[in-house]
Amino acid sequence: MRQTLYWLRFRLLAVGLAAFAWGALVPTFYTTFQDLFAGLVEAGFPENLLNFGSGSLFSLGGAMTIGVQHPIAIGFLGVFAVGAAAAAVAGERETGTLEVLLARPLSRRRLYVSLSAAIVIAVGVILALLFIGQVISINALGVADEIDQSQVPLVWANGMLLWGAFAAFSLAASVSFDRGGPAIGLSLAYLGINYFFEILGSFLPDLEWTQEYSLFHHFNPGEIVSGKQDPFDLALLGVAIVLPVLWALVVFPRRDLAAPA
Amino acid sequence: MSAVDTPHPGASTEPVIRTDRLTKHYAGGLHRPGHGSATIRALNAVSLEVEPGEIFGFLGPNGAGKTTMIRTLLGYLHATSGSATVLGLDVVNDSVALRRRVGYLPGGMATYGSLTGTASLDYYADLQQREPVRRAELAERLQMPESDLRRKVRDYSRGMRQKLGVIQALQHDPELAILDEPTEGLDPLMQLAFYEILEELRDAGRTIFMSSHYLSEVERICNRVAIIRTGHLMALQHVDELLARRKRRVTLRWRGGTPDLSEIPGIADVVVFRDRITATLSGDVAPFVRAIASPSLVDLLIEPARLEEVFYEFYAGDEAETPGGAA
Repeated sequence: MRQTLYWLRFRLLAVGLAAFAWGALVPTFYTTFQDLFAGLVEAGFPENLLNFGSGSLFSLGGAMTIGVQHPIAIGFLGVFAVGAAAAAVAGERETGTLEVLLARPLSRRRLYVSLSAAIVIAVGVILALLFIGQVISINALGVADEIDQSQVPLVWANGMLLWGAFAAFSLAASVSFDRGGPAIGLSLAYLGINYFFEILGSFLPDLEWTQEYSLFHHFNPGEIVSGKQDPFDLALLGVAIVLPVLWALVVFPRRDLAAPA
Repeated sequence: MSAVDTPHPGASTEPVIRTDRLTKHYAGGLHRPGHGSATIRALNAVSLEVEPGEIFGFLGPNGAGKTTMIRTLLGYLHATSGSATVLGLDVVNDSVALRRRVGYLPGGMATYGSLTGTASLDYYADLQQREPVRRAELAERLQMPESDLRRKVRDYSRGMRQKLGVIQALQHDPELAILDEPTEGLDPLMQLAFYEILEELRDAGRTIFMSSHYLSEVERICNRVAIIRTGHLMALQHVDELLARRKRRVTLRWRGGTPDLSEIPGIADVVVFRDRITATLSGDVAPFVRAIASPSLVDLLIEPARLEEVFYEFYAGDEAETPGGAA
Protein backbone atom coordinates (compact mmCIF):
# COMPACT_ATOMS: atom_id res chain seq x y z
CA MET A 1 0.00 0.00 0.00
CA ARG A 2 2.79 2.40 0.93
CA GLN A 3 4.60 1.68 -2.30
CA THR A 4 1.47 2.14 -4.41
CA LEU A 5 0.76 5.50 -2.77
CA TYR A 6 4.41 6.45 -3.25
CA TRP A 7 4.12 5.76 -6.97
CA LEU A 8 0.85 7.70 -7.17
CA ARG A 9 2.16 10.67 -5.17
CA PHE A 10 2.75 13.13 -8.02
CA ARG A 11 -0.53 12.27 -9.71
CA LEU A 12 -2.26 12.52 -6.34
CA LEU A 13 -0.75 15.92 -5.67
CA ALA A 14 -1.60 17.32 -9.11
CA VAL A 15 -5.15 15.95 -9.21
CA GLY A 16 -5.71 16.88 -5.56
CA LEU A 17 -4.79 20.52 -6.18
CA ALA A 18 -6.99 20.61 -9.26
CA ALA A 19 -9.90 19.05 -7.32
CA PHE A 20 -9.45 21.66 -4.59
CA ALA A 21 -9.53 24.46 -7.17
CA TRP A 22 -12.58 22.94 -8.84
CA GLY A 23 -14.33 22.60 -5.48
CA ALA A 24 -13.64 26.26 -4.71
CA LEU A 25 -14.95 27.32 -8.11
CA VAL A 26 -18.34 25.61 -8.00
CA PRO A 27 -20.00 27.86 -5.33
CA THR A 28 -18.96 30.90 -7.38
CA PHE A 29 -20.98 29.49 -10.31
CA TYR A 30 -23.98 29.37 -7.99
CA THR A 31 -23.57 32.94 -6.71
CA THR A 32 -22.85 34.25 -10.20
CA PHE A 33 -25.50 32.46 -12.26
CA GLN A 34 -28.42 31.68 -9.92
CA ASP A 35 -30.28 34.93 -10.76
CA LEU A 36 -29.63 34.46 -14.46
CA PHE A 37 -30.95 30.88 -14.36
CA ALA A 38 -33.98 31.89 -12.29
CA GLY A 39 -34.71 34.58 -14.86
CA LEU A 40 -34.50 32.05 -17.67
CA VAL A 41 -37.03 29.81 -15.95
CA GLU A 42 -39.37 32.75 -15.39
CA ALA A 43 -39.03 33.55 -19.09
CA GLY A 44 -40.28 30.03 -19.90
CA PHE A 45 -37.02 28.17 -20.50
CA PRO A 46 -37.50 24.49 -19.54
CA GLU A 47 -36.04 24.05 -16.06
CA ASN A 48 -34.94 20.51 -16.70
CA LEU A 49 -32.52 21.73 -19.35
CA LEU A 50 -30.86 23.93 -16.74
CA ASN A 51 -30.29 20.99 -14.44
CA PHE A 52 -27.28 18.70 -14.64
CA GLY A 53 -27.70 15.23 -13.29
CA SER A 54 -29.23 15.51 -9.85
CA GLY A 55 -27.88 19.02 -9.39
CA SER A 56 -28.79 22.54 -10.46
CA LEU A 57 -27.63 26.10 -9.95
CA PHE A 58 -30.92 27.09 -8.31
CA SER A 59 -29.63 26.22 -4.83
CA LEU A 60 -26.26 25.93 -3.17
CA GLY A 61 -26.88 22.28 -2.40
CA GLY A 62 -27.74 21.69 -6.06
CA ALA A 63 -24.51 23.43 -7.04
CA MET A 64 -22.58 21.14 -4.70
CA THR A 65 -24.17 18.19 -6.47
CA ILE A 66 -23.10 19.56 -9.84
CA GLY A 67 -19.64 19.94 -8.36
CA VAL A 68 -19.35 16.17 -7.97
CA GLN A 69 -21.32 15.14 -11.05
CA HIS A 70 -19.66 17.40 -13.59
CA PRO A 71 -17.35 15.61 -16.06
CA ILE A 72 -14.40 17.53 -14.59
CA ALA A 73 -14.99 15.99 -11.15
CA ILE A 74 -15.66 12.60 -12.74
CA GLY A 75 -12.29 12.91 -14.46
CA PHE A 76 -10.44 13.79 -11.25
CA LEU A 77 -11.95 10.93 -9.28
CA GLY A 78 -11.91 8.50 -12.19
CA VAL A 79 -8.11 8.80 -12.49
CA PHE A 80 -7.80 6.79 -9.30
CA ALA A 81 -11.13 5.00 -8.79
CA VAL A 82 -11.16 3.67 -12.36
CA GLY A 83 -7.78 4.21 -14.04
CA ALA A 84 -5.41 3.28 -11.23
CA ALA A 85 -7.76 0.62 -9.84
CA ALA A 86 -8.31 -1.16 -13.17
CA ALA A 87 -4.58 -1.14 -13.91
CA ALA A 88 -3.56 -2.14 -10.37
CA VAL A 89 -3.41 -5.90 -10.92
CA ALA A 90 -4.02 -6.40 -14.66
CA GLY A 91 -1.39 -3.79 -15.51
CA GLU A 92 1.18 -5.52 -13.32
CA ARG A 93 0.23 -8.84 -14.87
CA GLU A 94 0.76 -7.40 -18.32
CA THR A 95 4.17 -5.96 -17.53
CA GLY A 96 5.25 -9.07 -15.62
CA THR A 97 5.96 -7.27 -12.34
CA LEU A 98 3.09 -9.04 -10.56
CA GLU A 99 4.88 -12.35 -10.64
CA VAL A 100 7.94 -10.91 -8.92
CA LEU A 101 5.65 -9.51 -6.22
CA LEU A 102 3.84 -12.80 -5.80
CA ALA A 103 7.14 -14.61 -5.40
CA ARG A 104 7.23 -12.96 -1.96
CA PRO A 105 5.33 -14.24 1.07
CA LEU A 106 2.31 -12.22 0.08
CA SER A 107 -1.10 -13.78 -0.44
CA ARG A 108 -3.17 -12.61 -3.35
CA ARG A 109 -5.91 -11.51 -0.96
CA ARG A 110 -3.45 -9.41 0.99
CA LEU A 111 -2.17 -7.87 -2.21
CA TYR A 112 -5.74 -7.07 -3.25
CA VAL A 113 -6.54 -5.53 0.13
CA SER A 114 -3.33 -3.44 0.04
CA LEU A 115 -4.08 -2.14 -3.44
CA SER A 116 -7.70 -1.45 -2.47
CA ALA A 117 -6.57 0.50 0.60
CA ALA A 118 -4.19 2.60 -1.51
CA ILE A 119 -6.94 3.38 -4.04
CA VAL A 120 -9.46 4.21 -1.29
CA ILE A 121 -6.97 6.56 0.37
CA ALA A 122 -6.26 8.29 -2.95
CA VAL A 123 -9.99 8.70 -3.71
CA GLY A 124 -10.59 9.86 -0.14
CA VAL A 125 -7.92 12.55 -0.43
CA ILE A 126 -9.29 13.84 -3.76
CA LEU A 127 -12.86 13.94 -2.45
CA ALA A 128 -11.75 15.62 0.78
CA LEU A 129 -9.82 18.30 -1.10
CA LEU A 130 -12.78 18.89 -3.40
CA PHE A 131 -15.15 19.40 -0.46
CA ILE A 132 -12.62 21.45 1.51
CA GLY A 133 -12.39 23.72 -1.53
CA GLN A 134 -16.19 23.97 -1.61
CA VAL A 135 -16.50 24.76 2.12
CA ILE A 136 -13.79 27.42 2.03
CA SER A 137 -15.40 29.02 -1.00
CA ILE A 138 -18.91 28.85 0.48
CA ASN A 139 -17.73 30.65 3.61
CA ALA A 140 -15.71 33.17 1.64
CA LEU A 141 -18.76 33.99 -0.52
CA GLY A 142 -20.95 34.45 2.58
CA VAL A 143 -23.55 31.84 1.65
CA ALA A 144 -22.72 29.36 4.41
CA ASP A 145 -26.12 29.80 6.06
CA GLU A 146 -27.82 28.17 3.07
CA ILE A 147 -26.56 24.71 3.99
CA ASP A 148 -25.93 22.67 7.11
CA GLN A 149 -22.12 22.50 7.05
CA SER A 150 -22.06 19.89 9.77
CA GLN A 151 -23.34 17.46 7.13
CA VAL A 152 -20.27 17.88 4.90
CA PRO A 153 -18.36 14.95 6.49
CA LEU A 154 -21.42 12.81 5.72
CA VAL A 155 -21.32 14.08 2.14
CA TRP A 156 -17.68 13.00 1.97
CA ALA A 157 -18.52 9.57 3.41
CA ASN A 158 -21.37 9.15 0.94
CA GLY A 159 -19.03 10.18 -1.87
CA MET A 160 -16.58 7.57 -0.69
CA LEU A 161 -19.30 4.96 -1.01
CA LEU A 162 -20.08 6.01 -4.59
CA TRP A 163 -16.47 6.12 -5.74
CA GLY A 164 -15.65 3.11 -3.60
CA ALA A 165 -18.24 1.23 -5.65
CA PHE A 166 -16.52 2.25 -8.90
CA ALA A 167 -13.11 1.42 -7.45
CA ALA A 168 -14.36 -1.97 -6.22
CA PHE A 169 -15.75 -2.77 -9.69
CA SER A 170 -12.53 -1.66 -11.38
CA LEU A 171 -10.39 -3.71 -9.02
CA ALA A 172 -12.64 -6.72 -9.59
CA ALA A 173 -12.13 -6.25 -13.33
CA SER A 174 -8.41 -5.84 -12.75
CA VAL A 175 -8.03 -9.17 -10.95
CA SER A 176 -10.10 -10.90 -13.63
CA PHE A 177 -7.99 -10.04 -16.67
CA ASP A 178 -4.39 -10.63 -17.68
CA ARG A 179 -4.13 -7.37 -19.56
CA GLY A 180 -4.86 -3.81 -18.52
CA GLY A 181 -6.83 -2.91 -21.67
CA PRO A 182 -9.91 -5.10 -21.08
CA ALA A 183 -9.99 -4.23 -17.36
CA ILE A 184 -9.85 -0.50 -18.01
CA GLY A 185 -12.33 -0.79 -20.89
CA LEU A 186 -14.87 -2.68 -18.80
CA SER A 187 -14.47 -0.28 -15.87
CA LEU A 188 -14.91 2.77 -18.09
CA ALA A 189 -17.99 1.18 -19.64
CA TYR A 190 -19.47 0.64 -16.16
CA LEU A 191 -18.75 4.23 -15.20
CA GLY A 192 -20.03 5.53 -18.55
CA ILE A 193 -23.32 3.61 -18.44
CA ASN A 194 -24.04 4.84 -14.92
CA TYR A 195 -23.21 8.39 -15.94
CA PHE A 196 -25.28 8.19 -19.12
CA PHE A 197 -28.38 7.02 -17.20
CA GLU A 198 -28.00 9.83 -14.68
CA ILE A 199 -27.55 12.62 -17.21
CA LEU A 200 -30.11 11.28 -19.70
CA GLY A 201 -32.81 11.17 -17.03
CA SER A 202 -32.06 14.71 -15.90
CA PHE A 203 -32.46 16.22 -19.37
CA LEU A 204 -35.43 14.13 -20.58
CA PRO A 205 -38.36 13.96 -18.12
CA ASP A 206 -39.78 10.89 -19.89
CA LEU A 207 -36.58 9.02 -19.14
CA GLU A 208 -36.21 10.19 -15.56
CA TRP A 209 -36.67 6.59 -14.42
CA THR A 210 -33.22 5.73 -15.83
CA GLN A 211 -31.63 7.76 -13.02
CA GLU A 212 -32.75 5.17 -10.48
CA TYR A 213 -30.44 2.69 -12.21
CA SER A 214 -27.42 4.95 -11.93
CA LEU A 215 -25.13 4.85 -8.92
CA PHE A 216 -24.54 8.58 -9.37
CA HIS A 217 -28.18 9.20 -8.53
CA HIS A 218 -27.63 7.75 -5.07
CA PHE A 219 -25.06 10.32 -4.05
CA ASN A 220 -26.66 13.74 -3.83
CA PRO A 221 -24.73 16.26 -1.72
CA GLY A 222 -27.56 18.78 -2.09
CA GLU A 223 -30.00 16.47 -0.33
CA ILE A 224 -27.52 15.49 2.38
CA VAL A 225 -26.70 19.09 3.35
CA SER A 226 -30.45 19.68 3.49
CA GLY A 227 -30.79 16.82 5.98
CA LYS A 228 -32.59 14.56 3.49
CA GLN A 229 -30.22 11.58 3.31
CA ASP A 230 -32.03 8.46 2.13
CA PRO A 231 -30.70 5.34 3.93
CA PHE A 232 -31.59 3.31 0.83
CA ASP A 233 -28.86 5.18 -1.08
CA LEU A 234 -26.27 4.12 1.46
CA ALA A 235 -27.47 0.53 1.40
CA LEU A 236 -27.45 0.38 -2.39
CA LEU A 237 -23.95 1.83 -2.64
CA GLY A 238 -22.85 -0.59 0.07
CA VAL A 239 -24.12 -3.52 -1.99
CA ALA A 240 -22.38 -2.07 -5.07
CA ILE A 241 -19.13 -2.24 -3.11
CA VAL A 242 -19.59 -5.60 -1.42
CA LEU A 243 -20.46 -7.62 -4.54
CA PRO A 244 -17.31 -6.80 -6.57
CA VAL A 245 -15.16 -7.10 -3.44
CA LEU A 246 -16.52 -10.62 -2.84
CA TRP A 247 -15.95 -11.43 -6.51
CA ALA A 248 -12.34 -10.31 -6.29
CA LEU A 249 -11.67 -12.13 -3.02
CA VAL A 250 -13.05 -15.36 -4.44
CA VAL A 251 -11.78 -15.18 -8.01
CA PHE A 252 -8.28 -13.70 -7.62
CA PRO A 253 -6.80 -16.40 -5.34
CA ARG A 254 -8.23 -19.12 -7.58
CA ARG A 255 -7.05 -17.76 -10.90
CA ASP A 256 -4.24 -19.40 -12.79
CA LEU A 257 -1.54 -16.86 -13.46
CA ALA A 258 0.27 -18.20 -16.49
CA ALA A 259 3.61 -16.70 -17.47
CA PRO A 260 3.19 -13.24 -18.97
CA ALA A 261 3.56 -13.09 -22.74
CA MET B 1 12.64 -15.15 10.24
CA SER B 2 16.11 -13.88 9.45
CA ALA B 3 18.57 -15.65 7.22
CA VAL B 4 20.65 -16.43 10.27
CA ASP B 5 18.06 -18.51 12.05
CA THR B 6 16.83 -20.22 8.92
CA PRO B 7 16.81 -23.97 9.42
CA HIS B 8 19.67 -25.50 7.54
CA PRO B 9 18.15 -27.75 4.90
CA GLY B 10 21.22 -29.90 4.85
CA ALA B 11 20.31 -31.06 8.34
CA SER B 12 17.19 -32.72 6.94
CA THR B 13 16.93 -35.66 4.61
CA GLU B 14 13.42 -34.69 3.59
CA PRO B 15 13.23 -33.78 -0.08
CA VAL B 16 13.20 -30.04 -0.64
CA ILE B 17 10.78 -30.48 -3.52
CA ARG B 18 8.49 -33.45 -3.88
CA THR B 19 5.85 -33.82 -6.57
CA ASP B 20 3.47 -36.72 -6.77
CA ARG B 21 1.83 -37.26 -10.15
CA LEU B 22 1.60 -33.52 -10.58
CA THR B 23 -0.65 -32.74 -13.51
CA LYS B 24 -1.64 -29.46 -15.04
CA HIS B 25 -4.04 -29.17 -17.94
CA TYR B 26 -5.10 -25.82 -19.30
CA ALA B 27 -8.61 -25.46 -20.60
CA GLY B 28 -7.49 -22.52 -22.71
CA GLY B 29 -6.96 -22.12 -26.39
CA LEU B 30 -9.37 -21.86 -29.25
CA HIS B 31 -11.07 -25.08 -30.24
CA ARG B 32 -10.73 -25.73 -33.92
CA PRO B 33 -12.93 -28.40 -35.47
CA GLY B 34 -10.88 -31.35 -36.60
CA HIS B 35 -7.93 -30.46 -34.39
CA GLY B 36 -8.98 -32.38 -31.30
CA SER B 37 -9.49 -31.04 -27.81
CA ALA B 38 -8.49 -27.49 -26.94
CA THR B 39 -7.09 -28.73 -23.61
CA ILE B 40 -3.37 -28.17 -23.27
CA ARG B 41 -1.66 -30.91 -21.29
CA ALA B 42 1.23 -28.96 -19.83
CA LEU B 43 2.25 -31.42 -17.10
CA ASN B 44 1.34 -35.08 -17.02
CA ALA B 45 1.72 -36.98 -13.74
CA VAL B 46 5.20 -35.66 -13.00
CA SER B 47 6.71 -37.24 -9.89
CA LEU B 48 10.13 -36.20 -8.72
CA GLU B 49 12.11 -35.37 -5.62
CA VAL B 50 14.82 -32.77 -5.22
CA GLU B 51 17.21 -33.47 -2.37
CA PRO B 52 18.65 -30.89 0.01
CA GLY B 53 21.93 -29.34 -1.09
CA GLU B 54 21.80 -30.24 -4.76
CA ILE B 55 21.67 -28.28 -7.95
CA PHE B 56 18.83 -29.80 -9.87
CA GLY B 57 18.48 -29.12 -13.57
CA PHE B 58 15.09 -29.14 -15.22
CA LEU B 59 15.61 -29.55 -18.91
CA GLY B 60 13.39 -29.26 -21.88
CA PRO B 61 12.86 -27.15 -24.97
CA ASN B 62 10.45 -24.24 -25.11
CA GLY B 63 6.92 -25.41 -24.41
CA ALA B 64 7.92 -28.64 -22.67
CA GLY B 65 6.32 -27.62 -19.35
CA LYS B 66 9.30 -26.30 -17.38
CA THR B 67 7.77 -22.96 -16.51
CA THR B 68 4.40 -24.55 -15.80
CA MET B 69 6.10 -26.82 -13.28
CA ILE B 70 7.83 -23.90 -11.57
CA ARG B 71 4.68 -21.79 -11.50
CA THR B 72 2.71 -24.65 -10.02
CA LEU B 73 5.31 -25.13 -7.29
CA LEU B 74 5.11 -21.44 -6.41
CA GLY B 75 1.31 -21.25 -6.42
CA TYR B 76 0.82 -19.17 -9.56
CA LEU B 77 -0.95 -22.12 -11.16
CA HIS B 78 -3.24 -24.65 -9.56
CA ALA B 79 -2.58 -28.29 -10.30
CA THR B 80 -5.30 -30.22 -12.09
CA SER B 81 -4.40 -33.27 -10.05
CA GLY B 82 -1.55 -34.66 -8.00
CA SER B 83 0.25 -32.86 -5.21
CA ALA B 84 3.50 -31.12 -4.43
CA THR B 85 5.43 -29.98 -1.39
CA VAL B 86 8.27 -27.48 -1.21
CA LEU B 87 10.45 -27.45 1.92
CA GLY B 88 7.88 -29.80 3.41
CA LEU B 89 5.08 -27.31 2.86
CA ASP B 90 2.07 -27.95 0.67
CA VAL B 91 2.20 -25.72 -2.42
CA VAL B 92 -1.53 -24.99 -2.20
CA ASN B 93 -2.23 -24.58 1.49
CA ASP B 94 1.16 -23.23 2.65
CA SER B 95 2.07 -21.21 -0.40
CA VAL B 96 2.74 -17.98 1.49
CA ALA B 97 4.89 -19.65 4.14
CA LEU B 98 7.02 -21.48 1.59
CA ARG B 99 7.64 -18.36 -0.47
CA ARG B 100 9.25 -16.74 2.56
CA ARG B 101 11.98 -19.39 2.33
CA VAL B 102 12.34 -19.50 -1.43
CA GLY B 103 14.09 -17.22 -3.91
CA TYR B 104 12.59 -17.07 -7.38
CA LEU B 105 13.98 -15.73 -10.62
CA PRO B 106 11.28 -15.72 -13.29
CA GLY B 107 12.23 -16.15 -16.93
CA GLY B 108 12.67 -12.74 -18.54
CA MET B 109 12.10 -11.00 -15.22
CA ALA B 110 10.32 -7.64 -15.33
CA THR B 111 10.75 -4.96 -12.71
CA TYR B 112 9.70 -1.38 -12.18
CA GLY B 113 11.59 0.82 -14.62
CA SER B 114 11.04 3.96 -12.58
CA LEU B 115 12.89 2.55 -9.56
CA THR B 116 16.65 2.42 -9.16
CA GLY B 117 18.31 -0.96 -8.81
CA THR B 118 18.80 -0.37 -5.09
CA ALA B 119 15.21 0.74 -4.58
CA SER B 120 13.97 -2.37 -6.41
CA LEU B 121 16.09 -4.64 -4.24
CA ASP B 122 15.00 -2.83 -1.08
CA TYR B 123 11.37 -3.17 -2.11
CA TYR B 124 11.67 -6.89 -2.76
CA ALA B 125 13.63 -7.46 0.46
CA ASP B 126 10.96 -5.57 2.39
CA LEU B 127 8.23 -7.77 0.93
CA GLN B 128 10.33 -10.87 1.53
CA GLN B 129 10.51 -9.99 5.23
CA ARG B 130 14.10 -11.18 5.41
CA GLU B 131 17.36 -9.29 5.57
CA PRO B 132 19.21 -9.08 2.22
CA VAL B 133 22.31 -10.59 3.79
CA ARG B 134 23.90 -11.67 0.52
CA ARG B 135 23.17 -8.57 -1.56
CA ALA B 136 26.54 -6.85 -1.28
CA GLU B 137 28.46 -10.03 -2.05
CA LEU B 138 26.25 -10.91 -5.01
CA ALA B 139 26.46 -7.40 -6.42
CA GLU B 140 30.22 -7.53 -6.23
CA ARG B 141 30.48 -10.99 -7.78
CA LEU B 142 28.11 -10.08 -10.59
CA GLN B 143 29.82 -6.74 -11.16
CA MET B 144 26.89 -4.55 -10.24
CA PRO B 145 28.65 -1.65 -8.51
CA GLU B 146 26.85 0.95 -6.43
CA SER B 147 26.94 3.36 -9.37
CA ASP B 148 24.91 0.91 -11.49
CA LEU B 149 22.49 0.15 -8.69
CA ARG B 150 21.80 3.86 -8.30
CA ARG B 151 20.58 4.07 -11.90
CA LYS B 152 16.95 3.65 -12.90
CA VAL B 153 16.17 0.12 -14.03
CA ARG B 154 14.68 1.40 -17.29
CA ASP B 155 18.23 2.40 -18.30
CA TYR B 156 19.59 -1.10 -17.69
CA SER B 157 20.72 -3.41 -20.46
CA ARG B 158 19.18 -6.87 -20.65
CA GLY B 159 22.19 -8.41 -18.94
CA MET B 160 22.04 -5.89 -16.08
CA ARG B 161 18.35 -6.63 -15.56
CA GLN B 162 19.16 -10.32 -15.42
CA LYS B 163 21.88 -9.68 -12.84
CA LEU B 164 19.40 -7.64 -10.81
CA GLY B 165 17.01 -10.56 -11.08
CA VAL B 166 19.63 -12.98 -9.79
CA ILE B 167 20.43 -10.68 -6.87
CA GLN B 168 16.78 -10.24 -5.89
CA ALA B 169 16.29 -14.02 -5.97
CA LEU B 170 19.31 -14.80 -3.81
CA GLN B 171 19.88 -11.69 -1.67
CA HIS B 172 17.94 -13.07 1.31
CA ASP B 173 19.91 -16.33 1.26
CA PRO B 174 16.94 -18.59 0.54
CA GLU B 175 16.96 -22.26 1.46
CA LEU B 176 15.73 -23.04 -2.02
CA ALA B 177 16.34 -20.99 -5.16
CA ILE B 178 14.05 -21.62 -8.11
CA LEU B 179 15.62 -20.14 -11.20
CA ASP B 180 13.93 -20.08 -14.60
CA GLU B 181 16.51 -19.76 -17.37
CA PRO B 182 18.91 -17.92 -15.05
CA THR B 183 21.77 -17.26 -17.47
CA GLU B 184 19.59 -15.82 -20.23
CA GLY B 185 21.22 -12.55 -21.22
CA LEU B 186 24.38 -12.97 -19.14
CA ASP B 187 27.71 -12.73 -20.93
CA PRO B 188 30.12 -15.71 -20.66
CA LEU B 189 32.14 -14.12 -17.84
CA MET B 190 29.04 -13.43 -15.81
CA GLN B 191 27.82 -16.95 -16.50
CA LEU B 192 31.00 -18.28 -14.95
CA ALA B 193 30.60 -16.02 -11.93
CA PHE B 194 27.01 -17.19 -11.63
CA TYR B 195 28.01 -20.86 -11.75
CA GLU B 196 30.50 -20.26 -8.96
CA ILE B 197 27.83 -18.58 -6.87
CA LEU B 198 25.51 -21.55 -7.34
CA GLU B 199 28.24 -24.01 -6.45
CA GLU B 200 29.03 -22.09 -3.27
CA LEU B 201 25.37 -21.98 -2.33
CA ARG B 202 25.18 -25.74 -2.82
CA ASP B 203 28.27 -26.20 -0.69
CA ALA B 204 26.56 -24.11 1.99
CA GLY B 205 23.64 -26.56 1.95
CA ARG B 206 21.26 -24.52 -0.15
CA THR B 207 19.23 -26.17 -2.88
CA ILE B 208 18.94 -24.90 -6.42
CA PHE B 209 16.19 -25.89 -8.84
CA MET B 210 16.88 -24.41 -12.22
CA SER B 211 15.31 -24.77 -15.61
CA SER B 212 17.45 -24.31 -18.64
CA HIS B 213 17.78 -25.15 -22.26
CA TYR B 214 21.53 -24.62 -22.17
CA LEU B 215 22.69 -28.21 -21.95
CA SER B 216 26.32 -27.32 -21.37
CA GLU B 217 25.54 -25.33 -18.24
CA VAL B 218 23.32 -28.05 -16.83
CA GLU B 219 26.01 -30.61 -17.53
CA ARG B 220 28.57 -28.39 -15.87
CA ILE B 221 26.86 -27.47 -12.62
CA CYS B 222 23.90 -29.74 -11.96
CA ASN B 223 24.05 -32.83 -9.77
CA ARG B 224 20.87 -34.31 -11.11
CA VAL B 225 18.74 -33.56 -14.07
CA ALA B 226 15.15 -34.15 -15.09
CA ILE B 227 14.26 -34.09 -18.74
CA ILE B 228 10.72 -33.17 -19.61
CA ARG B 229 9.02 -33.57 -22.92
CA THR B 230 5.48 -32.34 -23.69
CA GLY B 231 4.70 -32.46 -20.00
CA HIS B 232 6.03 -35.98 -19.44
CA LEU B 233 9.07 -36.71 -17.32
CA MET B 234 11.42 -38.60 -19.64
CA ALA B 235 14.46 -38.99 -17.39
CA LEU B 236 15.48 -38.26 -13.83
CA GLN B 237 19.07 -39.12 -13.03
CA HIS B 238 22.45 -37.97 -11.82
CA VAL B 239 24.20 -36.23 -14.67
CA ASP B 240 27.21 -38.54 -14.31
CA GLU B 241 25.04 -41.66 -14.46
CA LEU B 242 23.15 -40.32 -17.41
CA LEU B 243 26.37 -39.71 -19.27
CA ALA B 244 28.10 -42.89 -18.13
CA ARG B 245 25.52 -45.03 -19.84
CA ARG B 246 26.00 -43.16 -23.08
CA LYS B 247 28.55 -43.95 -25.75
CA ARG B 248 31.80 -42.07 -25.90
CA ARG B 249 33.35 -41.32 -29.24
CA VAL B 250 36.91 -42.68 -29.61
CA THR B 251 39.41 -41.83 -32.30
CA LEU B 252 42.72 -43.67 -32.72
CA ARG B 253 45.62 -43.14 -35.06
CA TRP B 254 47.50 -46.33 -35.71
CA ARG B 255 50.84 -47.06 -37.26
CA GLY B 256 50.95 -50.09 -39.55
CA GLY B 257 48.02 -52.52 -39.95
CA THR B 258 44.77 -51.62 -38.23
CA PRO B 259 43.91 -53.64 -35.14
CA ASP B 260 40.71 -55.64 -34.76
CA LEU B 261 38.63 -53.74 -32.21
CA SER B 262 35.50 -55.85 -32.55
CA GLU B 263 36.50 -58.11 -29.66
CA ILE B 264 36.80 -55.25 -27.18
CA PRO B 265 33.75 -55.00 -24.89
CA GLY B 266 31.58 -51.93 -25.56
CA ILE B 267 33.12 -51.01 -28.91
CA ALA B 268 30.78 -50.49 -31.86
CA ASP B 269 30.36 -48.47 -35.04
CA VAL B 270 33.99 -48.98 -36.08
CA VAL B 271 35.05 -46.99 -39.12
CA VAL B 272 38.57 -47.19 -40.56
CA PHE B 273 39.93 -44.44 -42.78
CA ARG B 274 43.65 -44.73 -43.65
CA ASP B 275 45.47 -44.63 -40.29
CA ARG B 276 42.47 -43.28 -38.40
CA ILE B 277 39.94 -45.46 -36.63
CA THR B 278 36.75 -44.08 -35.12
CA ALA B 279 34.29 -46.01 -33.00
CA THR B 280 31.83 -45.61 -30.17
CA LEU B 281 32.51 -46.95 -26.71
CA SER B 282 29.92 -47.71 -24.09
CA GLY B 283 30.61 -48.75 -20.52
CA ASP B 284 33.93 -48.81 -18.73
CA VAL B 285 36.95 -47.26 -20.43
CA ALA B 286 39.61 -49.41 -18.73
CA PRO B 287 39.22 -52.65 -20.77
CA PHE B 288 39.41 -50.61 -23.95
CA VAL B 289 42.56 -48.76 -22.92
CA ARG B 290 44.22 -52.05 -21.90
CA ALA B 291 43.27 -53.66 -25.19
CA ILE B 292 44.71 -50.97 -27.41
CA ALA B 293 47.94 -50.49 -25.45
CA SER B 294 50.52 -51.03 -28.19
CA PRO B 295 53.62 -49.29 -29.63
CA SER B 296 51.60 -48.90 -32.84
CA LEU B 297 49.20 -46.48 -31.19
CA VAL B 298 50.13 -42.95 -32.35
CA ASP B 299 47.26 -40.93 -30.91
CA LEU B 300 44.11 -41.49 -28.88
CA LEU B 301 41.14 -39.22 -28.32
CA ILE B 302 38.23 -40.23 -26.10
CA GLU B 303 35.45 -37.68 -26.21
CA PRO B 304 33.05 -37.76 -23.27
CA ALA B 305 29.39 -38.32 -23.87
CA ARG B 306 27.52 -35.03 -23.93
CA LEU B 307 24.20 -34.25 -22.35
CA GLU B 308 23.30 -32.83 -25.70
CA GLU B 309 23.27 -36.30 -27.20
CA VAL B 310 21.16 -37.65 -24.37
CA PHE B 311 18.78 -34.79 -24.79
CA TYR B 312 18.45 -35.26 -28.53
CA GLU B 313 17.90 -38.96 -27.97
CA PHE B 314 14.87 -38.21 -25.82
CA TYR B 315 13.58 -35.73 -28.33
CA ALA B 316 14.18 -37.83 -31.43
CA GLY B 317 11.07 -37.92 -33.55
CA ASP B 318 9.46 -35.13 -31.57
CA GLU B 319 8.24 -33.52 -34.77
CA ALA B 320 5.82 -36.39 -35.24
CA GLU B 321 4.28 -35.85 -31.81
CA THR B 322 0.97 -34.17 -31.36
CA PRO B 323 1.71 -30.78 -29.85
CA GLY B 324 0.62 -30.60 -26.27
CA GLY B 325 3.28 -28.55 -24.60
CA ALA B 326 3.04 -25.40 -22.62
CA ALA B 327 5.20 -22.51 -21.66
